[in-house]
Amino acid sequence: MAASLLLVSSILISCLAASCHGVTLSSLQKTLIVFVTASPSPGQVLKAGEDSITLTWSFNNSFPGRTDSAYKTVRVKLCFAPISQQDRAWRKTEDNLVKDKTCQYKIVAKPYSPSNNTFSWTVQRDVPTGTYFVRAYAYNSADEEVAYGQTTNAHKTNNLFQVKAISGRHVSLDIASICFSAFSIVSLFGFFLLEKRGAKHSQEN
Amino acid sequence: MADEENSPGSSMHGVTGKEQSFAFSVAADPTILTDSTAKFALPVDSEHKSKVFKILSFANPHMRTFHLSWISFFTCFVSTFAAAPLVPIIRDDLNLTKTDIGNAGIASVSGSIFSRLVMGAACDLLGPRYACAFLIMLSAPTVFCMSFVSSAGGYIVVRFMIGFSLATFVSCQYWMSTMFNSRIIGLVNGTAAGWGNMGGGATQLLMPVLYELIRRAGATPFTAWRIAFFIPGWLHVIMGLLVLGLGQDLPDGNLSTLQKKGDVPKDQFSKVLWYAITNYRTWIFVLLYGMSLGVELTTDNVIAEYFFDRFDLKLHTAGTIAATFGMANMVSRPFGGLMSDIAARRFGMRGRLWNLWILQTAGGIFCICLGRANTLPLSITSMILFSIGAQAACGATFGIIPFLSRRSLGVISGLTGAGGNFGSGLTQLLFFTSSKYSTATGLSLMGIMIVACTIPVTLVHFPQWGSMFLPPSKDASKFNEESYYGSEWNEEEKEKGLHHGSLKFAENSRSERGRRVLSVSTPPNSTPPCV
Repeated sequence: MAASLLLVSSILISCLAASCHGVTLSSLQKTLIVFVTASPSPGQVLKAGEDSITLTWSFNNSFPGRTDSAYKTVRVKLCFAPISQQDRAWRKTEDNLVKDKTCQYKIVAKPYSPSNNTFSWTVQRDVPTGTYFVRAYAYNSADEEVAYGQTTNAHKTNNLFQVKAISGRHVSLDIASICFSAFSIVSLFGFFLLEKRGAKHSQEN
Repeated sequence: MADEENSPGSSMHGVTGKEQSFAFSVAADPTILTDSTAKFALPVDSEHKSKVFKILSFANPHMRTFHLSWISFFTCFVSTFAAAPLVPIIRDDLNLTKTDIGNAGIASVSGSIFSRLVMGAACDLLGPRYACAFLIMLSAPTVFCMSFVSSAGGYIVVRFMIGFSLATFVSCQYWMSTMFNSRIIGLVNGTAAGWGNMGGGATQLLMPVLYELIRRAGATPFTAWRIAFFIPGWLHVIMGLLVLGLGQDLPDGNLSTLQKKGDVPKDQFSKVLWYAITNYRTWIFVLLYGMSLGVELTTDNVIAEYFFDRFDLKLHTAGTIAATFGMANMVSRPFGGLMSDIAARRFGMRGRLWNLWILQTAGGIFCICLGRANTLPLSITSMILFSIGAQAACGATFGIIPFLSRRSLGVISGLTGAGGNFGSGLTQLLFFTSSKYSTATGLSLMGIMIVACTIPVTLVHFPQWGSMFLPPSKDASKFNEESYYGSEWNEEEKEKGLHHGSLKFAENSRSERGRRVLSVSTPPNSTPPCV
């Protein structure tokens, strides 16, 4: 996946109501532009723990009257695409960002700067199998979200990439499992046969 | 004297049946002769069954059997529900959907419906010690199999297979009835069942702690949960070896005596089954038990994940809260039986029925509250009250079951137990498998189902004792205890005298009339009721 990066940011958080309940995504302006490059090649499924992605983000200057003066830090997160949210209520998207569970994996947190932001991230080993996009939030000095940007469109239908999780299985575990199971079965039947033989002996004597 | 009452496996009050409250000991009961020649740590009767239930003792063989038995059952509960608190991790590792998780939960309780039926036969053939050891050690490999699981299908199959081990309930109850006198067997079996059920709670505490420790030791999350499953597996093997090494089938330790008892005429299974299934009360209790034990098992499966997701708690915090649900079994189940006995002393069987209805309906109402609670403290409070209601209702159910039938008690107990598991599978299927509603809504709907399906208890009517709303029949000579229990035998069988055990039981059951018992004249053909 290759794409060029631009970043546009602006818009201060306006509604006081939102700050009572938590910031809502719909209240943020999409003023950051985020791009992700996956290595080694586009369209390939990324393997957790092995493959890495390169992210760049910057401020989008093209909106007039929007400044980035309030932005202090940027946090970039890995988010689930709709197909990975189906039938999985624990990954549900909610407008209220406090309750939103779309973006559960933190990639990086950095102080804000309008351009020249790059980060290379190896997909963590606890990332599950699924389809993802990347979103960056800009925070003000009160640590509230003030703007965001993401690699996909508003409907989250393009520029998605897939991750394949590690298996969690190990050969050593499999072997240990077989050994203990065999021990259980053998000791059970061993006991049983020994007792039967002992009973026969005492009956014969 | 017919051995039916005391022969192994016949005196089953099922689970938590309590004929006499506070009956920790019948040592002073003059009607049960103590065998003073026997050299046991506890006073025993003529069959060398203990007359005393000393909970904290490990005296061989009686109390040792009790502890081996309930701990084996506890271990099987631990392994059957071990996956439940780890679901937040497993669902990411195996890419599960809500449907998969729901299906696995249903599978975990379905297996034992069949295995419990087989277990009865196994106890008859092999004796309870080997039946228990066989089951627990042959299900150890299924627990270890969790380390191989890499897909939703594999997960469901393994949980199904682990669920078979819940049949240790049958061997537990059977084994206890060979060791304890029938007058105290109700309390003994009830305590064993309640403490065994606690395993469903203990596992919610144990597994997240193990997972955390293993992760801190350096494993990745997706490997750590697999390693955590080894511990329940080892518990299976250890308990199996202890049962084989320390246990014995009978107080005298002799299995072949058990087989010699086949000389006593055994009842015809087809008749026993017929009288069980044609008694309408059986089916009402099958439904009711599904709404007490069934919802308890369902909640064991879903509650940890519910707290983790709804309140954003850490895994071991959610596990701790979920554990209190199952651990309440330690007292709430015996409490239900005790309340049943206290109600019966004053109001007889009608009191028992009202007690059951009140406890189970209260459980249902608190389940509705649990689903609707939006704050953590309110949610935990509702959950605890729900657990007390549902588990006490389990205890109260088996305070009534012994009186439904004398001849078919074993089959009715078995059917009721199966109804419990079936109720669990059904509620999980209806409310916790599809994504149509959230888990919170599912809990509320389950609560409504509990309240609605407890109403049929009003239909349970005994001609000699009445029902919740109807008094007993006025014609006491036609509708009495003897005629009720005698109706399970036909004339031919009565001529052979096969029904004497039932008649004896009928006399003893006159206490279910409540305070009126002293004013009732006894039928001319029977001896006065013994107190």
